[in-house]
Amino acid sequence: MADSEFSLQRMLRDAELPCGADPDELLQQAADGRGDELNAHQAECVHCQAALRELTRIWDPVRAKAAEPVTVPAALRMAVADQVRKLVSDVWYTLQLTDGGAIRIAARVVANLARSAARTVPGVRVAFGRSSESRAAGLAEKATLGHLHPHAAVGVLGRTAVVDLALAVQYGDAVDDIAREVQRRVISELEDSVGLMSVTVNVTVDDILT
Amino acid sequence: MVIERGSNGVNPDVDDAFLVQRAQEGYLDAFTELVNRHGKLAYRVALRLLGNHHDAEDVAQEALVAAWQQLPRFKAESNFSTWLYRIVTRRALNRMTRTKPTDSTDLLDELDEDKANGPALSAERNQAIDAVTQAVTALPPAQRIVVVLYHFEGLRYEDIARVADSTVPAVRSHLFRARRTLTQMLDEWR
Repeated sequence: MADSEFSLQRMLRDAELPCGADPDELLQQAADGRGDELNAHQAECVHCQAALRELTRIWDPVRAKAAEPVTVPAALRMAVADQVRKLVSDVWYTLQLTDGGAIRIAARVVANLARSAARTVPGVRVAFGRSSESRAAGLAEKATLGHLHPHAAVGVLGRTAVVDLALAVQYGDAVDDIAREVQRRVISELEDSVGLMSVTVNVTVDDILT
Repeated sequence: MVIERGSNGVNPDVDDAFLVQRAQEGYLDAFTELVNRHGKLAYRVALRLLGNHHDAEDVAQEALVAAWQQLPRFKAESNFSTWLYRIVTRRALNRMTRTKPTDSTDLLDELDEDKANGPALSAERNQAIDAVTQAVTALPPAQRIVVVLYHFEGLRYEDIARVADSTVPAVRSHLFRARRTLTQMLDEWR
């Protein structure tokens, strides 16, 4: 075999090419897609040029595969959300007794409605409603007594609810006005759509976004 | 003013650190937004490490749920996506080697490559989708992890070392070996 003839297996077996070049460096260069960026030595060296051409040819499909878009199954997000919801000990429901039976609405549903209503207020950039967490035991009872629990999120009992909302608002808007409008809309939404009779909305504005 | 919103009603310009902080405080919808943003990463890495959609979906799901459970331990100075890479990689590794989960040991150090390589070479088990996927999933786990994170995900050595609880020299060394192995396999399979 002539010195200039390229043998891949031989190159990988030997510590260096006949010209002294390090095979691993050439391999990295080709794998990174820089096979045609020759340095001064490579521009004059038939061994390096042959090696880079062959390695680039072998690694082209790898780089093509890496660039291929990956489609995420649509069910993944829902499956995760379902599992996380199960982990969260959300046991509290609103309760209305009607002639036809009992109507229960989960506290997290109340939280979601509150959050959505808050987001309709101009100037509100982000609104999160805490619906439930493991430490929420006894929360509903405390909430209905008007006790502001430090971790309170949504406390519901019967037709009474206390909602905690965390907001980030738009820089430049009147924060106080936004907070009051959030309270008004959330109370209105929960009274209208869930049938709650007493709603307290605690608003915490803890960030301003530019 | 019209403000563009993400799929969960959250502005795209709200950064991950903000969402993580809220999620740690118990705001489930903040975590949902993190899943919207990074679920793709979890699935993509799992798919590239495992080579088939079924296992990838399982592992991505496990990893994202584990992220919620482990969120209280997440340090604010860390990067959420790097942390998620770490959880997915560890879960995928468990799936590859069929071993029980281990605590924070060096992922690249603890593997018996010869032992792990045997079952991984089975094309049927991996249900490879093409030659490159087949070659990548036939690599020993440690080499597979560094190849996927470096050549497919574009992570730097330092980030890979962080994801794998390893060191930069170890990452570099595994990568050198992985490139040689992959080159030989692809050359033989042409």
